Amino acid sequence: MSDHSIVRDPKGYWADLTGAERGVVGFIVVLFALLFWGLLSGGLGPAYFMYLVGLVGMYMLLSFGLNVQWGYTGLINFSVAAFFGLGAYGTALLTANSSPLTGGLDPFFGIIPVPLVGLVVGLLLAAVLAVVIGIPTLKLRADYLAIASLGLAEVVRLIIKNQDGWTNGSRGLLGIPGFFDGWPVLDTFPQTMPGLRFAELQIGIPGVWSTRILGFTLGQSFWQSTLNVALVVAFVAATYVVLRRVHQSPWGRVLRTIRSDEDLAEALGKDTYSYKMQAFVLGSVIMALAGVFFAHLNLFVGPGSLDPINTFYVWIAVILGGTGSNRGAMFGGFVIIAIQEGTRFLGSALPQTLPVDLPSVLGVINSTYGTVVDNFASTRLLAVGIIIILVMRYRPEGVLPPQRELIWPESAKAADVTGGAVTGSAVDDSPGPDDEQARAHDGVDATVDDADATDSASDDADATDSASDDADHGGKSDE
Amino acid sequence: MSESKPRLKDGPNLDKENVVLEVDTLRKTFGGLVATNDASFQVEEGSITALIGPNGAGKSTLFNLITGFYEQDSGHVSVNGVDVTNAEPHTVAEHGLIRTFQTPRKLEGMTVREAMLVGAQDQIGESFVSLFTKPDAVEAQERKNLEDAHRILEEFEIGHLAAQSATDLSGGQMKLVELARAMLAEPEILLLDEPVAGVNPTLANKLRDQIARLNDEGVTFCIIEHDMDFIMNLADPIIVLDQGRVLVEGSPEAVRNDDRVIDAYLGGPGE
Repeated sequence: MSDHSIVRDPKGYWADLTGAERGVVGFIVVLFALLFWGLLSGGLGPAYFMYLVGLVGMYMLLSFGLNVQWGYTGLINFSVAAFFGLGAYGTALLTANSSPLTGGLDPFFGIIPVPLVGLVVGLLLAAVLAVVIGIPTLKLRADYLAIASLGLAEVVRLIIKNQDGWTNGSRGLLGIPGFFDGWPVLDTFPQTMPGLRFAELQIGIPGVWSTRILGFTLGQSFWQSTLNVALVVAFVAATYVVLRRVHQSPWGRVLRTIRSDEDLAEALGKDTYSYKMQAFVLGSVIMALAGVFFAHLNLFVGPGSLDPINTFYVWIAVILGGTGSNRGAMFGGFVIIAIQEGTRFLGSALPQTLPVDLPSVLGVINSTYGTVVDNFASTRLLAVGIIIILVMRYRPEGVLPPQRELIWPESAKAADVTGGAVTGSAVDDSPGPDDEQARAHDGVDATVDDADATDSASDDADATDSASDDADHGGKSDE
Repeated sequence: MSESKPRLKDGPNLDKENVVLEVDTLRKTFGGLVATNDASFQVEEGSITALIGPNGAGKSTLFNLITGFYEQDSGHVSVNGVDVTNAEPHTVAEHGLIRTFQTPRKLEGMTVREAMLVGAQDQIGESFVSLFTKPDAVEAQERKNLEDAHRILEEFEIGHLAAQSATDLSGGQMKLVELARAMLAEPEILLLDEPVAGVNPTLANKLRDQIARLNDEGVTFCIIEHDMDFIMNLADPIIVLDQGRVLVEGSPEAVRNDDRVIDAYLGGPGE
């Protein structure tokens, strides 16, 4: 959201940010500083750090998906976990050696890695389910989709839990290979890097988390977690690039019109049913992408991944970050993981008893404190609840709300120049004299815009730079 | 701005080729209530046709039937000779019939020019695939649409609102923007539902001038309006609806002097 590249002109970049953006940047910087401190001091193993990055990326993807449905289009989807789970099970059933259906396949034709096929299958499953559930509900009012999706999530979860012969039921699927297992070149890299053996990493980490992250204790190597991070970064980056383009396109504009007023969109000739279906399928496929990644990150999937609470975490991420904003969705995903994983450590970092001596009358405070610290991980829902209340109270549009104007970047820039000419002076086809005094201030606007345009023309090389300056009319106004 | 004189025609022209909108014995009931009772009328090309009538006469229902928001019980609607009975609203719009709403619809989180762009028809960039296969065409069209939007806003003398938030407008400005957006769709016929309801007289005059100007440029209008001063100076012919039926159709003078119309408005002796 600035004309200044963060690399060449950090000061200018900082000056261009809104207060909220500064807060977000500050928050992320502080959190990463803490993480690095944890890494250096040995309190946080590198492999676990990588795993965290993977989880953050996964939540970003989930938030992206829901943002397309709810943030862009206003579709209320309560089955995020179902689409996520479908992606995860789709790939797991093909690749896991404990899969009752396939028992883990060999590479297709000897060269096509199974996880790649799993990816396609997972996404296809989600797309098909989205179409199936969309056909009856998307013609109706938004509430019907909400109710149907609430039911759908449970149906999918219960099928997976009870259809033992297909999915191993509640035991889940073990032995899923990493995403890059069986790839022609990547597979030949050393699986364990010297000095970074898994056994060493475990020392620094309290036993709190080992129960949950089963995949790690099975011996995932450092190399593989590096690949996983690269994979999730690629997934998130690709999704972000695609979403940013569609969000500010005429297509995205129709979606946003539907969200505000579906009748209006119809009256202006837009086939709202078709657009809603496209948005629903796109969002669901992105959720399934997160699921596919999760299966190969965690190396285990069970019906617990489809618990409704996961759906609501994603909703909170989107609302917290700023409904309708891609950056907001990323930030929201990040915060959710920070809370989820941070609460694991805070409990053990805090002193087990109150550091001050209280009179015995206040013993109840002492014992409450002890209980809270002992079970700190379970306070995460409380933390999430408090945060969402505070955000709703003080910043209902979310931390990073969408930009106020979204027009295909290059067109907007061009129109700023020509638009300045139209509103200001020298209209080419204007019949009369062009100095109409009533519009004097538009002339000023036009000069400002012109300056912007030349500015960005000069840093044309920097794509992110010039692409983001379409928004600066509105971007700064939101504080 | 051009003078807003009604365009007098030499009698009704029943030649089908000049009929843009044809409503044929349209009927709609809600439970026991007959909202539209076999209404039939035609809107001729280049005319400003008004639909008036007392509250509950079925004007808005008729609009919703024509534009596909309601499903009719019987009867037919055709636009430019194409039967659009039972068509969905967006299909009706694609045939060149654009409507506005009684209460202006707000587009949250958009600027005025952005909200304008929604009106443009046949946008390449509205296809998801084209965004990635032909980005240049999308951009070129978007640029052209944006220029058109700016130009139309200028013509409506609200160019200074272009970068403003679409939700921060006054009621009158919203009506102007709605009309401007409808023009970006290059409609053959515009259905306006109470364009000056709640609009101050100055803006109302402006709106009337704009409608007259657009009409001179060849746009056909069909307008529901309660403001008699406004509509009598603008429209011809005028169609009076009462209890879902077409009561009278004629020039403003004829309608003004018709006893049945007075009865319908003031509650006459009954039938």
